[in-house]
Amino acid sequence: MRECRLLTILMLFLLTVPVAAFASPADPDQPTTKPDTSSVKVGHQGVTSDYYVPNSTHPLWKGAGLPIEKASAKIGNLTGDAVKGRNHYRRYCIGCHGPLGNGEGENAQWIDPKPRDFTEGTFRCRSTPTGELPTDQDLFNTIGRGFVTTNMPSWFAINDQDKVDLIAYIKIFSAKWNNPQRAAPIQIPPETPITVESIQRGHDDFEKMQCFKCHGQQGHGDGPSASTLTNSKDQPIRPYDFSAGDRFKCGSTNADIYRDFMTGLDGSPMPSFADQLKPDEAWDLVHYLRTLMVHVDSPERKIMIENHLQFKNEDSGQ
Amino acid sequence: MQHKHSFLVALAVFALSSFVSAGDVSGTVKFDGTAPHMKPIDMAKEPVCQKEHNPPVAIQAVVPGPNNTLDNVLVYVSKGLPAGKTYPTPGQPVTFDQHGCMYNPHVTALMVNQDFHVTNSDPVAHNIHPLAKVNKEWNKSQPPGSAPIDAKFDKPEITIPIKCNIHPWMRGYLAVFDHPYFAVSDADGKFTIKGLPAGHYTITAWQESWGEQTAEIDVPASGAKTLDLTFKARPVY
Amino acid sequence: MTTSLRKKVTALMTSVLTGAAIFALSFARPEPAHAIPALARKYGLPCSACHEAWPKLNTFGIAFRDNGYQLGNERDSPIWQNNAYFPITFRMTPNWHLEKTNRVAVDIVPGNGSSGLIETSTTSNGFDLSGLDILTLGTLYKNISFALVPSADETGAFHFESVWVRVDNILGSRWANVKFGKHELDVPEPLSEKRGYSLSASSGGYILYHYDPYGGTNEFGLGDNQLGVELSGHSRNSFTRYAVDVLSSNSGNVDFVDNNGNPAANSYDVYLHFSQGVMIPKLGLQRFGALYYNGRRATYSMTSGGVPIAGTGDGTAPFYRVGAYASIYLGKLNYAGLFYHGNDNKYLATATPMNLGPAGLPTGAQDATWNGLLNEFDWTQNPQFVIFGRYEFAHMSQQALPIGSLNALGATVTSQLGDTDGWAIGYRWYPIMFSRAGLAWHNEYSRSRIKNAAPLSGQDLLNQSVFVGLDFDF
Repeated sequence: MRECRLLTILMLFLLTVPVAAFASPADPDQPTTKPDTSSVKVGHQGVTSDYYVPNSTHPLWKGAGLPIEKASAKIGNLTGDAVKGRNHYRRYCIGCHGPLGNGEGENAQWIDPKPRDFTEGTFRCRSTPTGELPTDQDLFNTIGRGFVTTNMPSWFAINDQDKVDLIAYIKIFSAKWNNPQRAAPIQIPPETPITVESIQRGHDDFEKMQCFKCHGQQGHGDGPSASTLTNSKDQPIRPYDFSAGDRFKCGSTNADIYRDFMTGLDGSPMPSFADQLKPDEAWDLVHYLRTLMVHVDSPERKIMIENHLQFKNEDSGQ
Repeated sequence: MQHKHSFLVALAVFALSSFVSAGDVSGTVKFDGTAPHMKPIDMAKEPVCQKEHNPPVAIQAVVPGPNNTLDNVLVYVSKGLPAGKTYPTPGQPVTFDQHGCMYNPHVTALMVNQDFHVTNSDPVAHNIHPLAKVNKEWNKSQPPGSAPIDAKFDKPEITIPIKCNIHPWMRGYLAVFDHPYFAVSDADGKFTIKGLPAGHYTITAWQESWGEQTAEIDVPASGAKTLDLTFKARPVY
Repeated sequence: MTTSLRKKVTALMTSVLTGAAIFALSFARPEPAHAIPALARKYGLPCSACHEAWPKLNTFGIAFRDNGYQLGNERDSPIWQNNAYFPITFRMTPNWHLEKTNRVAVDIVPGNGSSGLIETSTTSNGFDLSGLDILTLGTLYKNISFALVPSADETGAFHFESVWVRVDNILGSRWANVKFGKHELDVPEPLSEKRGYSLSASSGGYILYHYDPYGGTNEFGLGDNQLGVELSGHSRNSFTRYAVDVLSSNSGNVDFVDNNGNPAANSYDVYLHFSQGVMIPKLGLQRFGALYYNGRRATYSMTSGGVPIAGTGDGTAPFYRVGAYASIYLGKLNYAGLFYHGNDNKYLATATPMNLGPAGLPTGAQDATWNGLLNEFDWTQNPQFVIFGRYEFAHMSQQALPIGSLNALGATVTSQLGDTDGWAIGYRWYPIMFSRAGLAWHNEYSRSRIKNAAPLSGQDLLNQSVFVGLDFDF
């Protein structure tokens, strides 16, 4: 009798295995055939049971970008597969960037700055001119570097192939990727020598370009326009404070700083100065900006201190 | 001899006009109700520009003209043009100036790939940041005394807000068309769309605060067609 | 049977029963484990970012943990969090389970202690509770991390599972991190008992980690949290990792006692662990490593009026454990294999106080040694569905006492006495997966067999478990 009961219980347990396996949320590799329009809620308004499955058959799907089978990326000898990228997106990215790639993940409402909206096709850290799409390498670097002082982690522990798959996958979100033509990265000539004159010219450029309007005369991010800056989604945003540390969102070498203002940081108030500065003027400005980073030892600061450089600051108005 | 000459000329003109067979659509944009009170712009953060406006200029969300007319209303043909027809890009640029920390014109309409020619007439830096969604969203700095910036928009888009991040009150709008049948109403609310071929069209008027008004018209083979459009006034915050 | 002989047998059987019960129960703890929605709340990441399927960590989670629970985005220090954020998570599993043991010595007449004993099987089943974990961990400051985990068993009796402070990235180097307090020994991730999938009694815990020779006094478990200091380091992506521990010889117990409640010795144990990961394209990350534990345990202590005095454990005898492992990823399948060798000194293995000297040892006593293999198979279909299985065994290679003799528990020593093997199989389905809470529908079956350990017949002792539960945390 006892054995009979035991057997029944065991059978019931075993039965739950296949039931649970079939009842598990839709495997992203098998698209659902019938989008459920009766309970469509995404993002911070609520979640559906298949929230965690980015699904191009979802009724709110606006992805006008490349079809998932065609989206690809190439870095070195690695080729990205967007179908695999979708699984990685689900695991790592969807909580912030959302199942529709529009930056409305369930966590987006609690974090500032907001996650990138991939449907806009606008990206911050690029080697290409303002308005252009980033290269695959730019996106690869971004994923690996993360964004300091934001919730975007440095995903260094994800292997390279997975990163390239992810880059292929995000091209399904914006129609801008449909254009096969891509802009080439800007040319960055070799860095000019770091000299007193270069730093002084850099200061003159800082005044001429009126960088202080946002960044402030000491680069503390306290310029007259700093408090009213908004990004392209009308969210308040602060300019970089050069005394804050040594890490920039788009890389911390001199070449990265050069690229920051020669390509502009799209989606943010930071414009491109490529039309206004010649390459050696740009390097001069880089050298000057290094002297504003008061907590970081650099050859530029060393020269500034050794030569007792003082800068006469222009008034922001008359 | 003279008779024959003038007759031939008249014949030519008649023949030509029947080929062209296009009309102009002109009219006035008005609003019903009371003009909303527009707050003055505080330019204290940019004293140089503040000095230029005495009294201070008002926010340009609604710019009424005399007799309840509306300035800065974009009027364009939204339906009725033959599908697939392409129109030549005009050679002359559309100018866009920054003066007194305000955009001039406030609403600019141009064709795809037409030269968008931006100048900075102020002694302070501006950045030009068209917030395009279909076209590329670029952001360029224009310090005082620097060269004009030329740009092109290669896709139709209605409308693209333009902002200057340094001066947050600066706001303008761009509309990019793939056909030439558009106009922006002037300070008296008047607009003219020239050379519209005969046919049945939907005309849309767009005002940045009050949305759109549409009207259907039949454009005759030649001659002018008048169309007045009226917006219902609503408060603007 | 005469009354006096029956009394002797009864007394002997009682001690055998107690010994067997203790022995069996030592495997019967559903091990508490770790999964942290509090960290998901802090950083706005879903559980799947750090966990292959919680609680098991993936590569990113291992690196995050090695870095002192820091993402390294200059926003790790608690001052950057909203005031309302508190780094606390609760985890518990209400369940239904069934336990069956095939050979238990029971009174012939229930309730009559002198009616004699027979061996029979017992089965118990019903709804029950697991233990509770209150996991608080995170950062006290940039590069100072902590964990404080009060843990209760299913009756609500609390102890401290983990309490430590770790100074991370000393002098800016990720190769120097010092952890102080009660902590889990650094073990290869797929083989962490704290973050393993299995929860059932028979084979939910890792048999191999807790294996001690039958009849000995050593109660050391590699999977038990230990008290001491750990120096550890890792490469940027945690492919290369090492840990060196100096631990008190008290098996992580407070107040200078060991796991048996006996006074702990004032000696110190050493633990070493090293692992190296190799990324193979298309297959995944493969890890290889080795571990070594060298410890001492007291065999007697000072007493006063016959009552042992805490912390005066003496006559320490050595023991060591050494293992080598590989964790292989083939796409969604993770196989982890640990080869393990253990050695308990003869005084420990025969429960002989060392102050009796060699004369106190039973005739023919020798060190007890054993070898074991642990195989874990995890199939992660997606972050919300995982199938796990484990097979492990520990076989004595040298018994402490000569074959045929009787050990202290009255069992006849065979070459296989105490050999244990067990396996577990189950699945976890996570109906929800988001950053505030987790829920898993957990089903598991497991069994373990201890050779020649049946209390009366000396035959094999077989334990089986069925476990069905809702494992949740928030």
